[in-house]
Amino acid sequence: MSARAGAWLLPGATLALVIVVIASLAVGDMALAPARVVDGLMRRDDLAATIIWQIRLPRIVVAMLVGGALAASGVVMQAYFRNNLASPGLLGVSAGGSAGAVVAIGLGFAGTSLLIIPATAIIGALAATGAVLVLARRGASTERLLLAGVALNALLGAVTSYVLSNFTLTYERNAQVLFWLLGGLEDRTWEHAAMAAPIVLAAAALWPLGRPMDLLSLGAAEAQSLGVDVRRLQRTMIALSTVLTALATAVAGTVGFVGLIVPHLLRMLAGPEHKRLVPLALIGGAAFVLACDLIARSAGNVRLGIVTSLIGGPFFLWLLRKQT
Amino acid sequence: MTALTIKNATVPGRLAAVDLDLPRGVLVGLVGPNGSGKSTLLQVAAGILPIDGSVAWSGREVDGIPPLERGRMTNWVPQEARFEFGFSVRSVIAQARYAHGDDNAGIEEALARFDLGSLAERPVNRLSGGERMRVLLARAFATGAGLHLWDEPLAPLDVKHGLEILVLARRLADGNRTIVLSLHDLRVAHCLDIVVVMHAGTVRAVGAPDEVLMADLLLEVFGVRARTAPGLILELP
Repeated sequence: MSARAGAWLLPGATLALVIVVIASLAVGDMALAPARVVDGLMRRDDLAATIIWQIRLPRIVVAMLVGGALAASGVVMQAYFRNNLASPGLLGVSAGGSAGAVVAIGLGFAGTSLLIIPATAIIGALAATGAVLVLARRGASTERLLLAGVALNALLGAVTSYVLSNFTLTYERNAQVLFWLLGGLEDRTWEHAAMAAPIVLAAAALWPLGRPMDLLSLGAAEAQSLGVDVRRLQRTMIALSTVLTALATAVAGTVGFVGLIVPHLLRMLAGPEHKRLVPLALIGGAAFVLACDLIARSAGNVRLGIVTSLIGGPFFLWLLRKQT
Repeated sequence: MTALTIKNATVPGRLAAVDLDLPRGVLVGLVGPNGSGKSTLLQVAAGILPIDGSVAWSGREVDGIPPLERGRMTNWVPQEARFEFGFSVRSVIAQARYAHGDDNAGIEEALARFDLGSLAERPVNRLSGGERMRVLLARAFATGAGLHLWDEPLAPLDVKHGLEILVLARRLADGNRTIVLSLHDLRVAHCLDIVVVMHAGTVRAVGAPDEVLMADLLLEVFGVRARTAPGLILELP
């Protein structure tokens, strides 16, 4: 891919994002004409203003944060493990975050503070990341990584099932648990957007890592020999990718495959250089999840996690076929 | 002036209390049977494998040298390059300048020297083994480092490119750089300045090829009988 063609990608992705945002503002149970969207945004029309400011805009913001976070997290994990099949979902990091949140709900802590769920999601995701690091320590071959991911996903699924089956849950808590399992953006409020807002900080912290991540993605020892502070870089990458995944999971549950297919597609289009890949993943991931959510809403309120998996599953199989 | 000083380097199960001192401006061959510790010693010398003992470059303890400065002083080339991502040949070589603030100096020269000009825009994950090794060596060359540690650079190369690498390594050594390369061909090792013979995780002998590569040592370490005889001579035109 030539640099000149690549130069269109960032503006192109941004334009796509803007279009999906506008569509997401207009489409819904009550369709709004473009003029009414503008009136609603300007608060000149009470009903439209309520729909947009109370319902659609917070959902859009959360969707963008979640999509950007998962895609960027995928890019970082792929560079870290030097394997383009590594992603928060496949490795079990999303499931770890989800299990953390579900346990907090099951134990009845979740209601005590808005920070409980993000905190437990981060703890769960960090524990899962630690387990992956141990299981796939020496050379992260595709087989080892995927097997580690399968084992972890099964283990964490058992934790979640245990909470579901052995805790006497109220109907409300049961619904909350199911929400995390299926992943979705229903009823997201500005509070959820605020909860996920640190995603912006984590994404900004990724900015200066682009160049050293290039070197690391071709080999840790080689990168060290070329002057990269590999240990520090790896620690930062793991911390940031885990926090990104955990925050996304804390507000939207398990949304599968975003961290796998968005980085992959973008790498095919823009090449492997992380200085371009990271911002593209943030914007492309936001556009992808928002578009999937639009499909989910238009298809009669299908859960977001189902839509991303319906798109991501076949893509993943195609990827595996292509690799062999 | 010493380029590399290794003292009492121990890696459990792989390297046992190795001492080594190499001066500047020499071309060094590291030989030994499979599993004798050549790759481990090179990684220890490069400061990328933690050890008991100490490693110093130009008299400075490696542990005290900041990462970026390490990248400017020394370069290590692995035995095999596994490139997972499709960076272009040019951009991989340009990584040599990371420790120099990405000034991109000397990239074109490195491409030309290693016969990679026509492959410059090719993704590295679609190259042959020999081409990948040339990319790694070109990247090492472009770092401008004073100490080079190359793990079996000749193994995947064809005859002509192998000879070109040796000629280039000789020129680097003449320019007061130290090149250490592990290799299996003792006849090539015989043409270098210093030979280091490894055996079972220890350095068995160090010195000029004529003094070190003697029949009894070769029989003991490699289990082969050595004698000189006329054979096929290959050189660059």
